[in-house]
Amino acid sequence: MTARLTRGVWASRLALLAAAAIILTPLIFLLGISFKPPQAIFKDVLMPIPLQPTLDNYRVVLETVPIVRYLWNSVVFALGVSLGQIALAVPAAFSFSYYQFPLKNLLLGLVLLSLMVPFVVTYVPNYLLLAQVRLINTVPGLILPMLGVSLGFGIFLLRQHFLSFQREIIDASMVDGANSWQTLTRVVAPANTSAITALFIYIFINTWNQFIWPLLIGGGRVDSYTLTVGVHIYFTSPEGGNWWGSIMAASMLTALPTLLIYLLMRKGILRTFTEGAVKG
Amino acid sequence: MVENTSSLDVTAARPLAQERLRAAWVRHLVSYLYVAPALIAIVLFVYVPLARTVQLSFYQGNLLNPTRTAVGLDNYTDLLTDPIFHETLLNSGLYLVFALIGSVAVPVSLALLTLQLTDREIDFYQSALFLPTVIAFNVVVLIWAFFFLPTTNGLFNQILALFGEPPNAWLKNPRLALPSIALIANWKVMGFHFLLAIAGLKAIPKETLEAAYVDGAHGWALIRRIVLPLFAPTGLFLVITTLIGAMDAVFTPIRVMTEGGPNNATSNLMYAIYSEGFRFFRVGQASTLSVILIVVFGSLIYAQYRLLDRRVSYDR
Repeated sequence: MTARLTRGVWASRLALLAAAAIILTPLIFLLGISFKPPQAIFKDVLMPIPLQPTLDNYRVVLETVPIVRYLWNSVVFALGVSLGQIALAVPAAFSFSYYQFPLKNLLLGLVLLSLMVPFVVTYVPNYLLLAQVRLINTVPGLILPMLGVSLGFGIFLLRQHFLSFQREIIDASMVDGANSWQTLTRVVAPANTSAITALFIYIFINTWNQFIWPLLIGGGRVDSYTLTVGVHIYFTSPEGGNWWGSIMAASMLTALPTLLIYLLMRKGILRTFTEGAVKG
Repeated sequence: MVENTSSLDVTAARPLAQERLRAAWVRHLVSYLYVAPALIAIVLFVYVPLARTVQLSFYQGNLLNPTRTAVGLDNYTDLLTDPIFHETLLNSGLYLVFALIGSVAVPVSLALLTLQLTDREIDFYQSALFLPTVIAFNVVVLIWAFFFLPTTNGLFNQILALFGEPPNAWLKNPRLALPSIALIANWKVMGFHFLLAIAGLKAIPKETLEAAYVDGAHGWALIRRIVLPLFAPTGLFLVITTLIGAMDAVFTPIRVMTEGGPNNATSNLMYAIYSEGFRFFRVGQASTLSVILIVVFGSLIYAQYRLLDRRVSYDR
């Protein structure tokens, strides 16, 4: 390798390292401040690493904020949307990939076109709908509309996977006397477990991180706050206003679950997000 | 086969045909039953709201009160002549310029730099830069609120102090608020688009690059003549994604940090919908802005199809 090329490689490495440092710095501060004693936060602002680490901020959050309640709501919200979307998307994708039926292309087009409608456009009418059925400030109210919004992506993604699955196996299963529901639940779904799991995690992370929607629908009553909403309310409340340490601790508690999922299943998540963007 | 059966027994043919027709309908019924729940959810929570938005844009009323008055096109004429709306549109354009730099030019350049690196290094940078995507945005926005504190305590003001500069109000400064919000949004999106850019680069066959290298194309020439033309579809895709996504990327930081201020300096079309609907409860105005947003997005998506169509025909 020539000296000139080697120099080029080191310049590239330097640029990428700088980019990584810029991206990670806020996250390092987030983590560091959550362990700093309150009086140290403004003493050495530029120092992200706590010199006398303490769990006080976490203790304050656990004592003053009903964080377990928020955590529970977030879990129910994210699980409800992801399991619900999977339950709707799997049969629909199966039908759209193996069957021919009148109006199929029109219906598939309707599914895909729904992804072009920005979520924000549906806020007011969905709010009015939920108000009519008295689901404002309830967790089911948060879940229901999200079953339809962005469902098209799951149907599309699974259909791609089902289409690449060998047709002969389906036909053989039908010939063996299995009806189509048995074929779906015993043959097609088990064979596509990894695609379905990846979709589940993708929807779970996206739902967990939702903020504006749960703020609008569930932000009126403490009982329906998700973690993201709860942290925001804590931040804007007078008692939260200047306690940066406990705000960062609450933020860390909100970030932790998705962060853990990411660290454990990094490869699959990166692949699904790439597929999601390119195909959706 | 069919001819055979009919010639053998003409009288049996009719019930058989009916049977087949019925079997076909049963099969179709099964197909419809599988798609029906999903379609109902999509129609109920996307298309019905969409239609209702269009309808509500011809009315005025309070979100929390069911009485509404029909006002014809008034909402549209009021909006189009409203200087605040013009400013909101201008802001949306400014955010877009920042996004084309921070969420297209920067990640694509960084991805091109990885061409010289090993797969293990690429994997490391991809994973690290992607971290902001998996964490709830409104939560990491709070650490940026700490950085941008207008007092001398804020991190950025402390850095300014190192250079002997006076503290800045940042998000409360009408000139700096919008670029500050844009910085936060691009910080979040950059790593995700870097991941997509790498995926696009990996789709270029290694043999093509090696052949060009052997033929004497090196460094910038290799990138400009070989890599960039093959990368163009991914690049175009990133531009379109950014045109549509730039509006959404700043939504959360605006909501948490500035609420559109100071003096509407950081508002954009999406935030304006939220603000009209859920801060001022003006259903008609929020719906009118929604319709305008749909028209803007619709034309962008249409343009994308036209552009991609042309690309495909060039390729063949």
